[in-house]
Amino acid sequence: MEELSNAQERIQYIVVKFGDEQYGIDIKYIDNIVRMQRITRVPKVQSYIKGVINLRGEVIPVVSIRLKMGLVEDTITKKTRIIIIRLDNGEIIGMLVDEVKEVVTLETSQIEKVAYDSGEEKANYLSGVGKDKGELISLLDMNLVFAEKERQINKPE
Amino acid sequence: MDVSQYLEIFLDETKEHLQSLSDQLMSLEQDPENMDTINEIFRAAHTLKGMAGTMGYKRMQTLTHDMENVFSEVRNGTIKADGNMIDVLFQCLDALEEYTENIQNTSDEGTNDNEHLIKALNQILSSLGGKAETPASPAKAESKEASAAEENDASKEKWRDIKLDDTEKLVMGEAVNQGKNVMGITVYIQESCILKAARAFLVYKALEELGETIVSSPSAQDIEDEKFEFDFSVVFITESDTETVKKAVMNVSEIESCYISLMEVEAGAGGERKAVQETEEKPAAASATALAASSGGNAPAKTDKTKNAKPVVNRTVRVDIEKLDVLMNLVSELIIAKNSLVSAANTEGITANSAVNEPIEYLESVTTNLHESVMKVRMVPIETVVQKFPKMIRDLSKKLDKKMQLFMSGEETELDRTVVDEIGDPLMHLLRNSADHGLESAEVRLERGKPEVGSIYLDAYQDGNNVVIEVRDDGNGIDVEAVKAKAIERGTITPDQAENMSDKDAIGLLFLPSFSTAKKVSDVSGRGVGLDVVKSKIESLSGEVEVKTKLGEGSTFIIRLPLTLAIIQALMVEVGGEKYAISLGSIQTIEDISPDEIKFVQNEEVINLRGDVIPLIRLNEVLDIASTKGPDDNLVVAIVKKGDQLGGLVVDELMGQQEIVIKSLGKYINKSKVISGATILGDGEIALIIDANALL
Repeated sequence: MEELSNAQERIQYIVVKFGDEQYGIDIKYIDNIVRMQRITRVPKVQSYIKGVINLRGEVIPVVSIRLKMGLVEDTITKKTRIIIIRLDNGEIIGMLVDEVKEVVTLETSQIEKVAYDSGEEKANYLSGVGKDKGELISLLDMNLVFAEKERQINKPE
Repeated sequence: MDVSQYLEIFLDETKEHLQSLSDQLMSLEQDPENMDTINEIFRAAHTLKGMAGTMGYKRMQTLTHDMENVFSEVRNGTIKADGNMIDVLFQCLDALEEYTENIQNTSDEGTNDNEHLIKALNQILSSLGGKAETPASPAKAESKEASAAEENDASKEKWRDIKLDDTEKLVMGEAVNQGKNVMGITVYIQESCILKAARAFLVYKALEELGETIVSSPSAQDIEDEKFEFDFSVVFITESDTETVKKAVMNVSEIESCYISLMEVEAGAGGERKAVQETEEKPAAASATALAASSGGNAPAKTDKTKNAKPVVNRTVRVDIEKLDVLMNLVSELIIAKNSLVSAANTEGITANSAVNEPIEYLESVTTNLHESVMKVRMVPIETVVQKFPKMIRDLSKKLDKKMQLFMSGEETELDRTVVDEIGDPLMHLLRNSADHGLESAEVRLERGKPEVGSIYLDAYQDGNNVVIEVRDDGNGIDVEAVKAKAIERGTITPDQAENMSDKDAIGLLFLPSFSTAKKVSDVSGRGVGLDVVKSKIESLSGEVEVKTKLGEGSTFIIRLPLTLAIIQALMVEVGGEKYAISLGSIQTIEDISPDEIKFVQNEEVINLRGDVIPLIRLNEVLDIASTKGPDDNLVVAIVKKGDQLGGLVVDELMGQQEIVIKSLGKYINKSKVISGATILGDGEIALIIDANALL
């Protein structure tokens, strides 16, 4: 895949919104998108974990990306969706987003590997910034978003 | 011991192992150097051998033993797998399949020794290895010797197993009154005999000349049809004495041996039959003879088996667990859909309409039952795997000439089918390990002031979110120094490393592939098959193995398996409007406590309940939520117990008892110890499970 990325590789992203900002999630990680449903609170866990939901008989944790990125806490509206992410290690995690906008196809040339040098929390989670129809889409790297915990998972016991 | 109840499992597993063997052999043919494949083949053969041995199928055991020998050499690199060898191995597989088929149809492995295959296997060993070892024949002789030693005359007299009905007893009683001898006869035909039925017929004929045969086992018809192994028994009435009868029987050629003794029959009264223990002792008057047809002195249960030799039909259907997962998910969705339907009907105000209401109620009960059924399909008690162990230990005890006893508890512990299917082999290895390496010989035990009979324990129980299975023995324990010495000898570690190695790490060495502390290879354990397999198997089930050992006192292997899908009985409670489940197992009683009964000890809330001072744990505080109860309301307290410690969990409301499925919260959540998992309630809602043990 590395060689290919130099050529005109096309990747599809689902564009979601947190407030006014647009974020892109690589479609290959997306298992499902579900409407907001009852989230069962789990006491004494990471602050950004909203709780767990029942997704077809499986108990799936739901993460607030807003809290994780240091933004204002989510307000649940009719547009709120839970994006079900399947990570490379098979772990399934739900992600709360304000709104799901559309699917875009970006070519490599449309993506800039911009590194934020601000101290912003979200900077750590981006793989680049995409440009589509004059709008900027921050591309989230799923493995980075859920990385800290991953390191702990892989740590031998 | 009757092993027929394990027959289904044995057949299922054997077929599976045979399939795996054949798959692996195929890939070995393509890639003769692949160590993984060779190891896999070796393990499968080893397991097959063990299973066949346990079930008392000697021919199958002998053949797999010899196959295993060949694989062992291949694994050690002394022999290269070539086309010829693989051909022979495939023929062996065919032979094993034939045995299996025979067992399925008649509960008996048949009489084909497949000597040409055994010979071919030994040729591979001797020609290539240069060693003239012929493990087959010694093994065979050994097993024969063993069985000969095991079964003294008394057990060879299979006629003692013949059941007599009243008429027969009456006839015998009369015979006694007439001064005739009633004797039991068991005749063994040489195993090389081709026309067994004909020989048996000649024996009957010889007997007829001397007296009258009352009962024969198997029946004369079965004997005529050759539906018997190499022996048969009859009860016989004659005027002659035992010697004459014996002579007459032995006159028939190809008869290996003949056991005759007089039967004690109550004269007159119709006679209750009692077998005379000493052959020489002459009882009252009569004697009768019995010939029981059963196999060549193998399994003690053979008589019964041959009698009920009806085909064993495979009544179980093996279903891919993934299909069950899909089914389970569909059921959950169905329940959620049903619930939406119910609530929609409620809001639309049409529930009053019985035409709608009744079908909905019916739908509810059907989905609930469906849900339960699907869940239960996946859960089986570990009993199905552990119940074959007592027999195995008994056999091992004889084989190893050590006295030992197996104590089991918690056989009813339920586990997901996938897990139960897989833990059989590892547990078997651990038990064999304990029996072979763990327990000392009787002499050593007496010297050390231990009871002569060694004890092996297999305890299964649920511990929070895990099922724990412990295999414990009161034997020698693990000699850490010996393990280190062995590891150095094998080049696994350097002497320097050994010096600095903790005992725990040293014990960890045992779990490396091809590591065995047994000084000699026995067919019980050794060869290094065992702990590495155990470990990899348990880990593949995302469980873990832990060893505790004390030199001279014994060792404990602790297997901890996660309950990905275990069902427990739980008390459903409400705290701050949220639903939680507490395992009913840890709950002693439920108490209604008035606030003024609360006392303070060291600033902690306690209650005095029938003489016990019990600390109160307010669940709403533990769970960071506001209680729905006012300070003056009575408290609902669930008294929980951990060891001899008691605690009172204060909850808001009781919702009742329910069977729940434990689901993991996934690895992503850093859950606290208090929450041991979650469960999905009938309406699709999630309730968290509280581990009461973690609160005490």
